[in-house]
Amino acid sequence: MNAHVGQPKIAPAKLQHHVIYVSDLKRSKDFYMKLFDLQFSALNHPDSSAAMRLSNQEMHFFSFGFYHHDICLVKHHKLKMDNNSMLHFTLMARDRDAFDAIRKSAAAMEIPVRDGRLIASAKTSPGQRSYCLQDPDQHWIEIIEEQRP
Amino acid sequence: MPPTITRRRFSNKTEDYGVFKPSRIAQIGQLSIYVQDIERSRQWYETLGGLRHSRTCEQEPHPFKPGWTIRCCYMSAADHKECLVLIEERDPEGKVTVPSGMSFFHTAFELEGNRLENVFAFAAQSKQGGFVPNYGPVRHNGDPPLGDGETGGNVACYFYDPDYNNVEFCGAMDTIENYRARYGDTRGSARA
Repeated sequence: MNAHVGQPKIAPAKLQHHVIYVSDLKRSKDFYMKLFDLQFSALNHPDSSAAMRLSNQEMHFFSFGFYHHDICLVKHHKLKMDNNSMLHFTLMARDRDAFDAIRKSAAAMEIPVRDGRLIASAKTSPGQRSYCLQDPDQHWIEIIEEQRP
Repeated sequence: MPPTITRRRFSNKTEDYGVFKPSRIAQIGQLSIYVQDIERSRQWYETLGGLRHSRTCEQEPHPFKPGWTIRCCYMSAADHKECLVLIEERDPEGKVTVPSGMSFFHTAFELEGNRLENVFAFAAQSKQGGFVPNYGPVRHNGDPPLGDGETGGNVACYFYDPDYNNVEFCGAMDTIENYRARYGDTRGSARA
């Protein structure tokens, strides 16, 4: 373990983007764009850079509409993905209408929905709605209604 | 670090698309990852990552594996409460499972200040603390001298946590507006 250096001067402000493995890029791209209306912002071919080439990966980038990318889907062409390093991730619906629209789309896509937060010890603000569902690779996604003052 | 092994750039093979409207999602709210030892990981995320410990809970039933349990440690960033959950997962015999590293490629925290200088300062303070990045600091675009041929514009450095989860600390990512200001409506392939 590295030496303890105390509280760093420069620290993270927030969790900004997350890059998940998928087994079928087209299937997952369709899922995320149709369900969450994520905006497809970039595509890195397997030979788009040294990093992609060395890692045997192909990435699709998606934006929530402000940053260049917030969620990325990665297909590893040599290794098999699984669900054994991440339990879930949470997406904050933009507003009440978006929260309901996602649920409506999930029903239309015949995606089972589980009410409430996924982890029992997770905190929920009074009146805050949430539900969970799984993507085509069985990644658990929690959807929470963002509450604004 | 050279942008590629051959020092040639390949950004002309990266396709970018304009994004001009908001989605149904505002932001990522939380991420929970499996770790083998909460205390070890907590120390790493506090010491290198600069996250703050919010709370560690007692064991609770696993949300979707009957007979299994989890113990959760909630970590917060400066402007993002309980954004990361470190989870020890135990099988029905009580044995802690070993994370595979194959559910996500990396996760990324935006640094306070959100500028190139902040990322370099973070990399420097990490080095001072004895931490070695596995990549970066680097800028994810094709512009010299920092650009690595990737996309997004963010300046980033990457570290492996104690379970070999790859964690990015970044800033200055392109927004849709400044991305468009730089490239207009020209796609990546046409910018070569």
